[in-house]
Formats: sequence, structure tokens, C-alpha cells
Amino acid sequence: MTYLRRLPKFEYVGPRTLTEVCSLISGGAPDDAMLLAGGTDAILQMRRRERVPRRVIGLKGVAELDFVREQADGGLSIGAMTTLHSLLSAPAIRQRYAILHETAAQIGGPELRNIATIGGNIAGALPCADLPPALMTLDAQIKLSSHRGERWMPLRDFFPEFGRTVAQDDELLSEIKLPRPAPYSAGTYLKFHDRQSMDMTVVGVGAFVVLDDDGRTVRELRLAYANGAPTVFRAMKAEAVLCGQLFGEKVLDAVAEAACSESSPRTSWRANAGYRLSLIRALTKRAIRRSWQSASSQKGTK
Amino acid sequence: MNDLVDVSLQVNGVRYDVAIRPWRTLLEVLRETLGMTGTKRSCGEGQCGTCSVLIDGEVVNACLYLAIEAQGKEIETIEGRPEGEPVLQQIQRSFAEKGAVQCGFCTPGMVIATKALLGDNPQPSEDEIREALVGHLCRCTGYVQIVEAIQDAASRLARERLR
Repeated sequence: MTYLRRLPKFEYVGPRTLTEVCSLISGGAPDDAMLLAGGTDAILQMRRRERVPRRVIGLKGVAELDFVREQADGGLSIGAMTTLHSLLSAPAIRQRYAILHETAAQIGGPELRNIATIGGNIAGALPCADLPPALMTLDAQIKLSSHRGERWMPLRDFFPEFGRTVAQDDELLSEIKLPRPAPYSAGTYLKFHDRQSMDMTVVGVGAFVVLDDDGRTVRELRLAYANGAPTVFRAMKAEAVLCGQLFGEKVLDAVAEAACSESSPRTSWRANAGYRLSLIRALTKRAIRRSWQSASSQKGTK
Repeated sequence: MNDLVDVSLQVNGVRYDVAIRPWRTLLEVLRETLGMTGTKRSCGEGQCGTCSVLIDGEVVNACLYLAIEAQGKEIETIEGRPEGEPVLQQIQRSFAEKGAVQCGFCTPGMVIATKALLGDNPQPSEDEIREALVGHLCRCTGYVQIVEAIQDAASRLARERLR
């Protein structure tokens, strides 16, 4: 009866600024201290005793990490403590980063989206997280902050293995930056789950297509997967198959096969590996088709 | 470690100064420390919605929220303000009249979620109502009546405002 268990004992600290957070983790004790963002995953992990921190550093009071800001270069900057609900209510995301809006809307229900944060969804490093694949197809950069300073890196390099990130113990994910969307571009995130709501992802496929000025040739394709491997990942070999090509069903088959050979999904009670591979094959094609259709329909509108 | 921490919680417009342990969830503190057992405990993992409360007007799962993090925020529960709350009362009347209550266990969470929904969207469509309730389970499966109750509450509250 895990669900009735109380949380393990811990000491709680509630910093108000990013500088305070950085100094609290500057010692860098990994299991001893835990950063708590929204907590919709972390609280459950503690209840199951998968994580038993001595000290919890709650980030909800760090107001400077809660923002969605349009940048002068046409990009978008999002604070790590922005809730999924705030993402959904940001006009810039609805209008210019539709894949992110579509993805956030498929996670949980209002109760969870009012608590869960974009930073927590990324830093939890779970292969089933839905925002990281969508963000990877948008070529997101992330900022890691520490008392030593800050550094930027592509999100696609953030997850070296299951449940881990390349962030040092004294660093926290503080900001996500999305580049300005290219003309004739569109993406979609297809989340496959049993109940169509309030359910864990069996396989999630994010696709993003950028077309040449002719509105037909694929200049760039980005593919990223949830639950396609022990971490969320970009299938860059599969992407290369379609680059510079005209869109067509034959080449789409080749992309899907390449994506399958880059994937290594696991077998669990939710679905076995073979079934997940079939999903990856089918959903990759469906996601690219939809993205291509919506990118090519923009021709003449810009 | 001295476990107890003094916190001040604002619940239904009343301030409560209590000493709690930092690992206690808001749900545990509401039910066990403050004795407000209207908010129910069931799945403990954010699936069922029976523990829903409002924090600064937004509906959240109290089982996934540390009580210590609810300090400085306005918490609203199914108990409502001591002086009575017309909106909450209308939703409850509509639930009763439309047969939306069978065993009643999910009802507090449903009512609280309805208050949040109608606050943002006073005239929701059926799809919007169902979307707002995806995080709520009714094991008596009385969803049709629940949707009807919410539509009834929305139209009565709209008439109320016109008057």
C-alpha cells in the first residue's frame, strides 16, 4: 500500500532566489539534498522510497525562475519553474511553438498541470517525460546555473543514461531557450497511451519539419522519442534520411526503419519492446506526415 | 533534528498557526492537523482527484503538495468560508439535484474542480467540462450526471449574475 505511506523524514529549505539555491547546493552532495520543483514525480518517488533525501530544497518560492519571455532575436526563454499551466496560457507558445502547447496539454489534468513544471519534467530525466522530446525537436538549449557561474548546452546532450543528467551536483537547470521558428516549419508530438488522458506514455514521438523555400523539399527534420530508449533521445540518423529529399511514402518508410534501429525500448508490464517498436515505426511516419502537411500549408502565408 | 516547524496557513479565509513536520503533505495537514476531513484521500498519486483543493484559485492535488510550501498562499477547501460561499453552495445544490452524488467520495474533489473551472470559464461546453475533470475518478461511474450538474450550476450562476 505504497500510496498510503507517508513521505520519508527530511529537513526542508525554501530559498527565495537563484543565488540562494546555488549556494545551498554548492557543496554538491547528491543523495543527501534533493531539489524539489513541482513535485508531481518527486513526491511519488519519495513515497516509494526510491529517493530518501536528508534535505529537500523546495524551488516553488523562487519567483525569478517562473517566466515566459519573448527574446529580441525572435526566440523564447522559459524559466525552469514555469508550470505546465503557465506554458499553456502563454500566447507566444500557442502561436509560435504549437508543438510545445500540444504536448503540455497532453500531460495529466488541470490539477497536475497547475503544479508540474517544465524544469522538473526535464531534470527528472525520465524516459517517459513528454516535454523533452518536444523541446528537442525545437532545438532547445538549456541553462545550468551554479555558484561557479552558468553554462548553456543543447537539451539533446543532457541525458547520458537512464535517470541521469550531465548536470554536476552543484548545478541546477534554470532556463530553457527556444530558437526563433523557421518559416515553413511545423511539428507535432504524438503521445501513445492507453486511456488518452491521465496516463503514462507508452511511446511518444516528436517530429519537426523545416521545408525549403519551394515549400516541398525537406531542409531539416528533427525526431525525438519518449520511451524509445532508456533516455529521451534525438534519432539523428533517421533525420538525415529525409534531409534534402522530397516528401514521399517510400522515403518515410526508410526514416521509420532508421528510427527503429536507433531505438532500444524496454519491455515492461505496460508494453513489450516489440510492440513499442511497432508504435515507433507507425507514429514516426504519422508525425512526419502531419508536420509536413502543416508546414507545406504555410506556403504563401508568410 | 527538531522536527516541528511553525507554519501559518490561510485556509478558507482563516489563518491557522500550526507546528508541522516538513514532510507532511497539505492533505495530511488539512485532515489530521486541522481536522478538515472534507478533502478526501484516495490514490495518493495524483490520479483520482479526490484530494483537490484550490491554491491561489488554482486547483491542485493536495496529496502531491507539501504543506510547508502552501504558506503565504490562499487555500480553499470543500468546507468553504465560515460565512458561507454562494458559488460553492450552488455547485453543491446542483450536484444534489441532478443526482451527481452516489457514494459521494469523489464529490468534494469534483465540486472544488468545478469551482475552479467556472471561475475561469463561466459557460463551459460539455467537452470543456469533461476536459476539466480528466483528473477525477468516480467509481460509481456517474459521470453523465456530474456533467449535467456542472452545466446546471453554470447556468444558474450565470442567471444569478444577471440579476
